Amino acid sequence: MNFPKELKYSKTHEWLKMEDGVAVIGLTDFAQDELGDIVFINLPEEGDEFGVDDVFADVESVKAVSDINSPAGGSITAVNEELLDAPEKINEAPYEAWLVKMEVSEEADDLMSAEEYEAFIESEK
Amino acid sequence: MEELKRTQLYDRHISADAKMVDFGGWEMPIQYPTGIIAEHLYTRRYCSLFDVSHMGRLIVSGPDRKAFLQHVVTSNVDALDVGMAQYSILPDEDGCGIDDLYIYRFEEDRYVVIANAANTDKDWDHLMKMKEGFDVTIENVSKDWAAIAVQGPTSKDILRDLIGGKQPTEPIRNYLNIATIPALDDAPVYLAKTGYTGEPIGYEIYVPTEVCGKVWDMLIEMGARPAGLGARDTTRLEAGMPLHGHEMGLDKDGNKMPIYAVPLAKFAVSFAPQKGDFIGKEALAAQKAAFLRINNHDFSDCAALPRRIQPIVLLGKGVLRAGCSVFKDGREVGYVTSGTMVPYSLMDGETLFQKVTEESQKRSIGFCYVDSDVETDDQVEVDIRGKKLAAAIPECHMKNDAPPYVRVLLYEHEDEEEQQAAADRGAAAKSLFKEALENHLWRQEACINLIPSEMSASRAVRLLECSDPSFRYAEHRKTAAFYDEEVFYYQGTKFIGRVEEALMAEMKQYLGCKEVETRVTSGQMANTCVFSALVDYKNRLDRKVEPKRLGYILNNHIIKGGHLSAQPMGALKDFAAIDPVTEKRAVVNFPVMENDPYCIDVEETKKVIEEYDPELIIFGKSMVLYPEPVKEIREFLDAQGRDTIIMYDMAHVLGLIGDHFQKPFEDGADFVTGSTHKTFFGPQRGVVGGNWDKDDKKYDLWETVQSRAFPGSTSNHHLGTQLALLMAVYEMNEYKDAYQKAVVTNAKAFAKALKEAGLNVQGDPAKGYTQTHQVIVSVGYGEGPEVAERLEQNNIICNYQATPEEEGFTASGALRLGVSEMTRFGFTEKDFAKLADLMASCILHGTDVKAEVKALRDAHLDMQYCFQDKDMVDIMDAFAKKTGL
Repeated sequence: MNFPKELKYSKTHEWLKMEDGVAVIGLTDFAQDELGDIVFINLPEEGDEFGVDDVFADVESVKAVSDINSPAGGSITAVNEELLDAPEKINEAPYEAWLVKMEVSEEADDLMSAEEYEAFIESEK
Repeated sequence: MEELKRTQLYDRHISADAKMVDFGGWEMPIQYPTGIIAEHLYTRRYCSLFDVSHMGRLIVSGPDRKAFLQHVVTSNVDALDVGMAQYSILPDEDGCGIDDLYIYRFEEDRYVVIANAANTDKDWDHLMKMKEGFDVTIENVSKDWAAIAVQGPTSKDILRDLIGGKQPTEPIRNYLNIATIPALDDAPVYLAKTGYTGEPIGYEIYVPTEVCGKVWDMLIEMGARPAGLGARDTTRLEAGMPLHGHEMGLDKDGNKMPIYAVPLAKFAVSFAPQKGDFIGKEALAAQKAAFLRINNHDFSDCAALPRRIQPIVLLGKGVLRAGCSVFKDGREVGYVTSGTMVPYSLMDGETLFQKVTEESQKRSIGFCYVDSDVETDDQVEVDIRGKKLAAAIPECHMKNDAPPYVRVLLYEHEDEEEQQAAADRGAAAKSLFKEALENHLWRQEACINLIPSEMSASRAVRLLECSDPSFRYAEHRKTAAFYDEEVFYYQGTKFIGRVEEALMAEMKQYLGCKEVETRVTSGQMANTCVFSALVDYKNRLDRKVEPKRLGYILNNHIIKGGHLSAQPMGALKDFAAIDPVTEKRAVVNFPVMENDPYCIDVEETKKVIEEYDPELIIFGKSMVLYPEPVKEIREFLDAQGRDTIIMYDMAHVLGLIGDHFQKPFEDGADFVTGSTHKTFFGPQRGVVGGNWDKDDKKYDLWETVQSRAFPGSTSNHHLGTQLALLMAVYEMNEYKDAYQKAVVTNAKAFAKALKEAGLNVQGDPAKGYTQTHQVIVSVGYGEGPEVAERLEQNNIICNYQATPEEEGFTASGALRLGVSEMTRFGFTEKDFAKLADLMASCILHGTDVKAEVKALRDAHLDMQYCFQDKDMVDIMDAFAKKTGL
């Protein structure tokens, strides 16, 4: 399983990357593997605002539906609409298949580094 | 927390890196690394293995085993023959399902009951409680035997390899077999043609625990892939199979769901008298009454069945999930019991030529438990996480009656445009002639016609067929008041009256019997006429009660070549009784030789006759390579003092009656039926022959046949073709010796040449592969339609055919070839040898042989075995001219 060093990770298995002051948010490799085949995704719309840990999207695999929590607070500036028709891209390349971009107004204080996240997953097993 | 149980194959799942979950107390693989979608699609396209060893395997034995099961399950265990499986339900007193089961009867003295994993302990306790007063033993053998579901189109080939080249089971759902695995020191394997994926080709196999890991590995090496509970759920949802705990048992509020809420209950519940007072009978009877009303769109009293399980499909984007509420016209009518997103492969090509592509799509489907007045095609809404989304109640999500593949049915499918009536009829009339001529010349001069049920008629026959009698009526009836003279109802019929008498005289001579009925206009009508007469005769002594139908009837199974016109789904339908004990049609089939399924096994047949005491035996087939053992069976019946009626449906071989094939009445047939246009010289009609003297006590049976022909079957018996048939019988009686000899010789030569050219010719080589006009060539499982189409493009016309090991016509892997028509056009052994080479090139190498085929046909345009001296030609020319033909 792959956890790029440059990303930050949440306990609810989202990743976050800062690009020019905008947060790019997605699901981790661990999350997609646990979910199995992702078959459907609900994404927010541009301009929607969320606080830290708010549910901003949900993703469905064959097995179940799971909420996606926001690893930061702010307003949505872009949505990866490609995923609406091809949610399996999250399984294929979880760090390329970003979900949303967000202008951050509130940072979470418990995001982890790749190393910490890997240790966290181990302890959860 | 209680420790999770593991199956015998647990290590295999771990080493394959499966994701394991708790399923009903068992640690089971939900998926392997490829994922649920890939596993689902692989099952539908190739073959998947499912470890189903978590399911309970209980053996019920002891003297009262049947009586006990009749008492505790809903199905009719009397209908379960050795070698068969049955779906059943374990009911409680309220008619609610404690569990659903499969009952296997591999052996005479025991039943194997397969229970759901999570319910096995509960079922066990229930059975133990109910067993008081019954002398039965119940044993849980789940630890000793592992269970593997082997499901998908290639499962049959894989299992055939596993058991040393034999057919795993008969190619029919619910058949069982016991075999051994040569590679594992002949370890036993119990095979059942059952499954939970809906695959038309799929098995569940049981192997001893000691070898199950090796069997699993071998199956994977042969091309199967493991699949987990995820794909098991998506395949069963698509197939419309209920899951206890979702579609059966308690609903989401904890209330009992009636068993009849599940559509499959229709098959699983029996009220046969010998079941006696079984558990839940009263409640189930009330449910059934409601079920019948509801299915008749009468919702006046749904108290016993307020809600039903229905399939549901989401029309927009999203995913159905268990628990989602369902609304119709704004009213909440129920909820989704199971739902998810299910993938399906896109198919390329039309109907039989569909091929699975690499492309796939997904749709969200499931089951819902909704008010009983919600019906198929109703539009509903489903509340998915607060949003109401459009959904519909489809008839089903897929069909599995067109093997080898499951055929997905999409709800919003667009039908092809219907043909419209012609706008310019004058133009259409002219164009019709142009096309008819093209077709005539193509089939008559450019094609090699090998369909064994077809024959071209001579010019003489064709001319007569079109002359005046084809526009007339000639109803007539034997009338007792006039010493049984035939009385005609219309004037202008004296000529056709003489023709009919001549036809009967010629036909009696040809068939070798005392009586014929020539008014039936097809072979199938000939059969229904006899069946109807037998029913009438059976009930002749008391006309005041509901007539009894025929049973038992012994015939050839359709899979073994039996003709549709003698099958319960064909012409027998209205005439075969229902056996009240088994609640099935009182029809039993001829056993066939293990090493030659085209041949009836006479010794085994005798045992069947002793067991079932049939009142009617029907010989004859549409896939026919040998004479039928009429003589042996007649001698056996006589020795046993049975007065069983023997009918021989000779539709295919009517033109072969004689020294070179078989003489049915000399062999002991009571009736011969047939169509006059297959090996016979046409036109398209039927005939019935009987062999009773006028002073015979059974002669009134023959008279019943006559009255079932007219007025029973026809009013107009198609006088034009009747006239033409007289000419055809003249031809046949004149030329039959040379023709029949040439047909059989040609068929054998054709078979031998096809074999030498590298094709897989069916039948016994010791018999020259065939003793009729037919040759059966196997071209690979399911390949028949495509090969037949390729041959048509090369001007060789034949038909695809399922062999005795294949499931039905959509899975046809063979060609059925007949030599009679081309023999009539003068083909010799040499010509058939040449044709065999051309066909082999086309079939095996895809070579274009159209030009050679045309050349071969071009050398054989003149019809033989008919009157063609100069006088006859002059007479026909004059007839054609004067009649304006």
